[in-house]
Amino acid sequence: MSALGSEVRSPAGSGGLDSLVWTGRRGPLRWGGRLLLIAVGYLLPWILGGSDRIVTTCVLIAIFAIMSYGLDLVLSYLGEVSLGHTLFWAAGAYLTAITAVRLGWSPMPALIAALAAATALATVLGIATIRTREFVFSLVTYAAAVIGLTVVSNSAVFGGTDGLVGIPLLSLPAVDGQYVARSNADFWPIAYLVLVLVIGLISRFRRSKLGVTALMAQMNPDLATSLGVDVRRTRVLVFVLSAPVAALAGWLYAYQRSYVSPDLLSPYFLLFMLTAVILPGRRLLLGPLVGALLLTSQQELASLGGDADKIVLGGVLAAVLLLSPDGLAGIWRRIIRGGAGREIRPARDEAERRA
Amino acid sequence: MSLSAQLINGLALGAGYAVLAVGWTVLLGAARLVNFSHGQLYMLGAFTTWFVVAKLGLPYLVGIPVALLVCGALGLLMQLAMIRLTLDQKIVNLMVVTLAFGYLLQGGAALLFGGNPQRIDSPFEARSLALGVARFTQQDVLIVVAALVLYAATFHVLGRTGVGRTVRAVAEDPKLAQLYGINAARVYVGVFVFAAATAGLAGAVIAPRSPILTSIGFDEVIITFLVVVLGGIGSILGGLLAGLGLGLFVAVFGAFFPPAYSMAAAFAVLLVILVVRPQGLTAR
Repeated sequence: MSALGSEVRSPAGSGGLDSLVWTGRRGPLRWGGRLLLIAVGYLLPWILGGSDRIVTTCVLIAIFAIMSYGLDLVLSYLGEVSLGHTLFWAAGAYLTAITAVRLGWSPMPALIAALAAATALATVLGIATIRTREFVFSLVTYAAAVIGLTVVSNSAVFGGTDGLVGIPLLSLPAVDGQYVARSNADFWPIAYLVLVLVIGLISRFRRSKLGVTALMAQMNPDLATSLGVDVRRTRVLVFVLSAPVAALAGWLYAYQRSYVSPDLLSPYFLLFMLTAVILPGRRLLLGPLVGALLLTSQQELASLGGDADKIVLGGVLAAVLLLSPDGLAGIWRRIIRGGAGREIRPARDEAERRA
Repeated sequence: MSLSAQLINGLALGAGYAVLAVGWTVLLGAARLVNFSHGQLYMLGAFTTWFVVAKLGLPYLVGIPVALLVCGALGLLMQLAMIRLTLDQKIVNLMVVTLAFGYLLQGGAALLFGGNPQRIDSPFEARSLALGVARFTQQDVLIVVAALVLYAATFHVLGRTGVGRTVRAVAEDPKLAQLYGINAARVYVGVFVFAAATAGLAGAVIAPRSPILTSIGFDEVIITFLVVVLGGIGSILGGLLAGLGLGLFVAVFGAFFPPAYSMAAAFAVLLVILVVRPQGLTAR
């Protein structure tokens, strides 16, 4: 695994923190560390005081992090900027709302409908954009999201500009009957479990053949093609895979908020996803989680009001890309190396020595 | 409404789209840059005009050049901030930066101008003219005239003058042009400022037709994108024809279907083109 890791490393997003989570020893010690991290993460709302506000913030962090992981797959590993991922996130939430409110479905069938709808949308969009790259790809996906907003705001099926209200409480089958999430504190275990599963999925993806192929197709498509990789197929596959991840977050959000409205397709969530992935640095396993944590904490606990928060979000994203395109990880790497060259090897060695 | 009325309406609409898109056509053709804050610059052009007319009490015709200057100045600031990314041709990062700028502008405008819908009080909007059964306003005439003048001027400058030769040289091969002594950075700044200023102009002349909000601008980016792509990237004349064509399509479509879906329909056409004839996207 570590040999593979060094092979597929790209010059842009490598070394430093990346090595800490990507490579390293296998074995009981590592698994123990992971379990400890997962346990501490679970207890975080209570470690931070357990107030209602903290618990709500933690739930939102988990949901928004999952949403951002959807975009992360495309942005970090394919290297393409999809501006249409709000579509999949909204598809997840809307399908949940429609099936739960209108048809009275329970959460699990609603989840399957949500994932299926997002996957279908992504397949259509992925095939339509199969031969586009860079800005044309971004523009087409962006247009899809803006059109989605218009359609949703204007059609009765989706509840128009008011959206759909009255989504029932999230209730899942448990050992002793039903587990009903009546409050955000009840919601936290579910959101956290889904988050851990999604991070597990991303971690597997990074080591999978598809993940390696995607990175190769991003770094050198000609080389990938000459080695027998079907670059277009890889791009569509990763794009389609990313959609249900975002939809999963939409499913959670619909239940957490108990209503859906066209604001799910607003640029706010688009900017949020992009910033959550880019701010910590692309291609980091825990990057989107850290990004979602920073952004949600600011918006929930230190909000300056809606319009000023927009300036903060837009300003942070622009500043990162203009000053340090590799994000916080890039700044960190520059600090530990004291501004020395950009080679990969020394940083990796240092990271391994520390680990 | 009769068909001739729809056609007149479509012509005014399409001329507006063409004004909106000319900056992008030049930007994309000459610098391979896209500006996602184009729609927000349009919004800002509209609100600057509204501010000049409603708050400062100056005539509408003063508002137009002020909007042009404000948006041009913002474009200058943006491009100066991005100049390193531009010279390195980091297209993907640039795109996201302009998206972030657009969001910033939207938040700033909301703080500055408030969240209420406003109306630009243009004297031309009130005066209506008639051509047979079709009725239209002087504002519509102003938009069509602005489009024709703007396209003629752009066509002339790019095709017939030294400035145009410089821009085309940088578009052809920035590195070689620099070897030849052309300052590519200055060309990028100039083209970006032109695009931003024309977006402001579009806001100033088109927006009096309907109420404005600081949250507008997203549809405008999509319209611009459709016009630029359908007209052939970088083609000035193609942009004008595509703008007029899209305007007529939207007007006629709106006569038979809910108008809210006209952009969705235009987008569906684009998706089909992407699948069937993707090379049309790169044709000059």
